[in-house]
Amino acid sequence: MKHNIQSDHNKIMVVAQPDHPLYMELIQHYKVRTLDEAINSFDTYDLVIDLSPLRTQKKFLFLNELAKTTKADIISDLTLCWGEWILKYSPQVKASVSTLFYSPNKAFEYSLRDESDETFLSLIKIFADTINQEMIGHKNLGLSFHYPRTIAMIINEAYFALGDKLASATAIDLAMKNGVNYPLGPFEWGEKIGLHLIAQLLEELSTITRDERYKLSTELKLQAFKYQ
Amino acid sequence: MKINTVVVIGAGTMGQGIAQWFTQQNLIVEMVDQNYEFALISLDRIYQSFDKLAKANKLSSDDVSHFKKNISVKKVDDINTNADLVVEAIIENLTAKNTLFAHLDQLMSKQTIFASNTSSFSINQLSQAVNDQRKRNFLGLHFFNPATIMKLVEVVSGLETNPEILNFLFEWFNSKNKTACICSDSPGFIVNRVARNFYGEALRAVDVYDVEKFREVDTVMKKVGGFKMGPFELMDLIGIDINYSVTESVYRAFFDEPRFKPHRLQRDMVIAGRLGKKTGKGFFSYET
Repeated sequence: MKHNIQSDHNKIMVVAQPDHPLYMELIQHYKVRTLDEAINSFDTYDLVIDLSPLRTQKKFLFLNELAKTTKADIISDLTLCWGEWILKYSPQVKASVSTLFYSPNKAFEYSLRDESDETFLSLIKIFADTINQEMIGHKNLGLSFHYPRTIAMIINEAYFALGDKLASATAIDLAMKNGVNYPLGPFEWGEKIGLHLIAQLLEELSTITRDERYKLSTELKLQAFKYQ
Repeated sequence: MKINTVVVIGAGTMGQGIAQWFTQQNLIVEMVDQNYEFALISLDRIYQSFDKLAKANKLSSDDVSHFKKNISVKKVDDINTNADLVVEAIIENLTAKNTLFAHLDQLMSKQTIFASNTSSFSINQLSQAVNDQRKRNFLGLHFFNPATIMKLVEVVSGLETNPEILNFLFEWFNSKNKTACICSDSPGFIVNRVARNFYGEALRAVDVYDVEKFREVDTVMKKVGGFKMGPFELMDLIGIDINYSVTESVYRAFFDEPRFKPHRLQRDMVIAGRLGKKTGKGFFSYET
């Protein structure tokens, strides 16, 4: 599909939930629809930017439902998904982004289905500029985006350490900031991202890989419950 | 309780930095190394560092002459046996540390606090070298490199450590512009445990030797995550062998817990002698 929407945000539908970290920015510039609104919409769009916080199976089903209502190409947030799988089975997804995890630097990762696709590169650039974020490329999206999986593992370990009574959360935050110059302590970071998202990503990685390294700390599981 | 006199044992990078930092707190510091000549070289480096700081107007000339007077090199049997604190920063070898602590236990006054800067051994394991009374004065003080600059000191409690000593040192370090964090005696303490997956997950994201991918992960972690360095450039700086050894040690200490499992790429890099910046080649190449 040809895109002539560089300056016309009316031709774009953004799908996001009110708890998306960039929601306030998004509603200033775009028509933002919830998941239900998106699949029941009769409006026509040239492009859908799907920022829904869904894991692989639910994302796949949602994208299928969406395909019944629109022929528009999709840029989809695959933070909580097995990216490679979605790209293989949801051909309408032309590019993916990872905007669900709070970034201290106001930046997100993106990945193009076709690395030479200038159109989608330009569309993501416009989207990033509009919501005042920087975009960083990730080639050949495999299991997951780099930043979310890494920070999720660091935060999970901090909760394991807390559960083991290694030190207080304050001490752990201070240690990571002063010992290895982290911009935030893992507990502060977890609060900013939302522990429910961290829990969902780790559960997804665990489901896909069957690797025990992704098992959730009981302490994090307990805390994540309050967000749901 | 007071800290006026300190003996630092081990004059390598960490010992030298720790000795310099204590000296800059206006304490009387004695530095010891198995190799006396090496300790003298370290002392000279400390003197040079003081001079550089004076040149940069960070220390006065009075400070410098005062500090130079207050730090000295001693042989282990000539140290001040009434020192308030002994900090061990020798090679990470259990036998060497135990032998040293057993000797110091005989030598030092009952009040002297014993601390180890170990990053890989358990404080409870090290304190087995001393008598029961000393065990109450025995703890970990884990500094970070460079010790004169990095603010963190992990104050590690053994099972027998007197809580009053822990709290005293916690307050004392915080009053000296360090950030002290009390933690229990557990593998990797706080930082070396919680930071493991900064490297481990990055290695799994890449999985095979691919310089373009190393660069991509580093860029993402700096630009999206706000980290000062990416995991691969940081491993190259630390030394891939050292990073691998810490990972292995934490993994073993947690009885092969999968969260800490080393990655084969780390091992392969070590086998190939690509240890990072120090060998000119690591994940990236530094040869000119």
